[in-house]
Amino acid sequence: MALLHLDHLSLRFGGLTAVNDVSVAVERGQIFAIIGPNGAGKTSVFNAITGLYPPSGGRVLIDGRTVRSPPGPADLARWSLAGIVTGVGTALAINANVLWDAAINRSAHLKPFPWSETWNAVAATATQGAWTTIPFVIGAAVGVGAAWNAWRSSRCTPDAVARAGVARTFQNIRLFRDLSALDNVLVGMDRHLHARGWHAALRLPRHCREERDARETAMRELEFVSLGTAANQSASSLPYGHQRRLEIARALATRPALLLLDEPAAGMNPAEATKLMELIKRIRDRGITVVLIEHHMKVVMGISDRIAVLHYGNKIAEGTPAEIRANPQVIEAYLGKEELG
Amino acid sequence: MSTWEIILQLLITGLANGLIIALIALGYTMVYGIVELINFAHGDVMMLGCFLALTVVGLLGGEVAAPWLAIGLMLLLVPPFCAALNWLIDRHVYRPLRNAPKLTVLVSAIGVSFVCVNLGMFWGGLPMEVFGGGSQAASAKSFPELIGYTNLLGENSAVLLTYKELMVAVITVPLMIALTWFVSRTRLGTAMRAVAQNPTAAQLMGIDTNRVVGLTFIIGGALAGVAAVTTALYTGSISFQMGYRNGLDAFTAAVLGGIGNLPGAVLGALCIGLARAVMEGWVPNGGQWSNTVVFSVLILVLVFRPTGILGSRVREKV
Amino acid sequence: MPPTPLSARLRMMTGAPLFLGVVALLPLLDLVLPDTWKFASLVPAIMAYAIVGLGLNIIAGFTGLLNLGSAAFMAIGAYTFAILTCPIYPFQIGFFPGLVAATVAGGAASLLLSLPTMRLRGDYVAIVTLGFGEIVQDVLKNLDAVTKGTQGLNPVATPALPGVTFTVGNYVPWFYLYLVVLIAAVWLCHNLRHSRLGRAWVAVREDELAARAMGLSTPRIKQLAFGIGSALCAAGGALFASLNGTSIEPGFYDFQQSVIILCIVIVGGMGNITGVLLGAFIMVGFNGIVLTKLTEMMARNGWTGDNVLAAPGNWKFMLYGIALILMMRLRPEGLLPAKGVQADMHHDDVGKLPPQGAR
Repeated sequence: MALLHLDHLSLRFGGLTAVNDVSVAVERGQIFAIIGPNGAGKTSVFNAITGLYPPSGGRVLIDGRTVRSPPGPADLARWSLAGIVTGVGTALAINANVLWDAAINRSAHLKPFPWSETWNAVAATATQGAWTTIPFVIGAAVGVGAAWNAWRSSRCTPDAVARAGVARTFQNIRLFRDLSALDNVLVGMDRHLHARGWHAALRLPRHCREERDARETAMRELEFVSLGTAANQSASSLPYGHQRRLEIARALATRPALLLLDEPAAGMNPAEATKLMELIKRIRDRGITVVLIEHHMKVVMGISDRIAVLHYGNKIAEGTPAEIRANPQVIEAYLGKEELG
Repeated sequence: MSTWEIILQLLITGLANGLIIALIALGYTMVYGIVELINFAHGDVMMLGCFLALTVVGLLGGEVAAPWLAIGLMLLLVPPFCAALNWLIDRHVYRPLRNAPKLTVLVSAIGVSFVCVNLGMFWGGLPMEVFGGGSQAASAKSFPELIGYTNLLGENSAVLLTYKELMVAVITVPLMIALTWFVSRTRLGTAMRAVAQNPTAAQLMGIDTNRVVGLTFIIGGALAGVAAVTTALYTGSISFQMGYRNGLDAFTAAVLGGIGNLPGAVLGALCIGLARAVMEGWVPNGGQWSNTVVFSVLILVLVFRPTGILGSRVREKV
Repeated sequence: MPPTPLSARLRMMTGAPLFLGVVALLPLLDLVLPDTWKFASLVPAIMAYAIVGLGLNIIAGFTGLLNLGSAAFMAIGAYTFAILTCPIYPFQIGFFPGLVAATVAGGAASLLLSLPTMRLRGDYVAIVTLGFGEIVQDVLKNLDAVTKGTQGLNPVATPALPGVTFTVGNYVPWFYLYLVVLIAAVWLCHNLRHSRLGRAWVAVREDELAARAMGLSTPRIKQLAFGIGSALCAAGGALFASLNGTSIEPGFYDFQQSVIILCIVIVGGMGNITGVLLGAFIMVGFNGIVLTKLTEMMARNGWTGDNVLAAPGNWKFMLYGIALILMMRLRPEGLLPAKGVQADMHHDDVGKLPPQGAR
């Protein structure tokens, strides 16, 4: 089964159709390229895969499944709990003065304080009909509605997709500028770390050990992309080419099954582009499937197993690099009459 | 009072207050739409306008025989004053920070607000009779009664509709219609909308964004000035702290309706006006919970519609 | 390459310990000052505010969430502490349990705020937190059976340590106890910042979209920021209440108070723990020490009058306002910015990374 399957994917923004009925299947271990002129919808396809925009038509299947899933019993339990808590909270809040008076103030001067009577007093006031029932019902309705709303908007979001094993880089580099290179990669590793906040706050051994191991692993990722010496420099101070590689290292740190690279060779000279090609091949050798958007034809033709060509949102061709190079439609729309690469 | 009469009264009070808040809210939402700034000082600019209005009335002799002269003079002087003040604040405090992070400008706005509040307190210490003789700088000042309390629906009517409410409607509604016409039909208005949507493209089309932003502040200020006069005449009391409360209501209204959205600001303001009228006029003990209700409504709306009632989603370019 | 070298770690650490070390010596300084210049008794209040500032620093400084209602959590902490320790109610659990309870209450109450604001844009978070502050004020005022409304709850528990008495007359035990609590808070914040959670907070502040793309669950991260930050704010509130012997009336915890706390974080340096400490000394010190001493001095020399312009206290807002405006123009990153923030704040230029996301 294909690792990534775009099944008649369409993406519409208002009156503009960015992606129109595109179907693509990417097998495990492939390096798959998506090319096309600017505005052809390539980054939109990435955005649809990573859950940024829900598809206007068709589906995105990762390992045969869509990331959207119907509500399960855990979700229903969560909504009910939310409803009960908000309901009880609202009822208590509306009646707080009365309840407090009955429970505490009335007997405050007594020593010892009659705690058992407190519960009876609260129960008696609480069962007084309208002033507790109506707030409870309204509060519960709001609680359930809000919980459902939160669930609905959190399905198939970028982090859900990332947790499903898809990582990406961005066309306009999106590093965490205030953090060092090492810290950027450590953020990528976050979902594989397990220490909780209080382990860290109290500097417990579990946290310290995990941090140490994580740093070693992050260093190895940086060395994999040849950035080992830049580990403690702040991300914003790195030269442009290094920043692109850092973004790749950060994405690799999430241990993805599928890596989406958005124009990784942009702005690179031929020597850097060759090094990038080797890097991408080494990534594939690690068992990661790579899909890349790229304009640099030497890179595309040099490493891709298969290429899909988009034009105004439509897929006009798909095949091996040799087939694409010879395809007359592609040549006319994008490559030009000259031989490139 | 029968149920219908109660409802009618609440509508009257709510709409009157809502319309005044709408004027201030429009200023907030226009400025936010164009420079993405919560102008915290906007409510305080209005407050200073109120103090100017009181000064004008005081100079004319307090309880005045010719109220129309006083009202006319106030409407002539206060809006330009507020407009100029607003423009000056933008020119010297906000414009230099046009490219700064949002928090920086926000804190500057809070700073301006503090300065205005202090100015209001000092202004209240003016040795004029309308200011209480200058000895009680910080206390609220009562505004002379220039418009009567005669019930337009007749002496025996349970529902109270006076010239005050009429005045509010007569002043605010035409202004809002004029603003809508200006924004949608004139060149300057279109330029404002262009800059709000895409400043770079607007500049490339030859629009001077600084002038357009300045114009937005001027219009917002003028609206606040009108709101100042209206509020002073309607509620009959001003205080140097009223800027915070009114500004907060107005900005909440703008967010409720969808920030940057002009009809949304008016809608939000009317909602808040009505909510407050219901809480203060009908619900027993409601006055003390008025703020809670307004903000709870806001939070609830934002939970289910994060961009406000009439708001539109802004797509982030990836 | 080995983990962060010891030299770098020491450099990260010296700011706060040095500052706190100097603070620890202040009572000694106070001993040699003439009576009218003594000020160390006003410092415990500053320390309580510093803890509140550390809380807001987690929310706004580390995570970049615009919280304009931090006074509300200070109030929640103060009132929880007061309700549980005031003799008019049967609980009377004592200072330290009360402090813990107040901290937990602050953290729990933050859910009321963080759950609705999870998906909101930055400016909307600002208005919602502002509104929350108003709601809390209303609630505290109106539920007067519980909170005694505008009277406030008093007296509240004073700390109880074996062999040490905490009275109004002698500030020294308060000074050193609060200093210990402050040191603990600083240590906790430092550890959190240099941990998985701290990195996640900064990532969310820098670029929320990229953080999500890395699999971070940003709503949970924001909730934790609000939770831990609000818990600290509440702890500071409880300490402040104990110091004053009363929960203070609800009207005290208003927007102006939230702005002062925000300024503590901003003026001192966003995201920098030592900066927050400095900010607390400046903001609260100015009001509590400078203005108070000035008014006392003017009263002593007979320079008072009826004129509203004569009392220094009346110029407070003007001075705050002008200081804020100037500060944002000249040094918006604060006096002691976190590293990296300074370059970011001053960037009008092209050539570096373009601005990302909604900043």
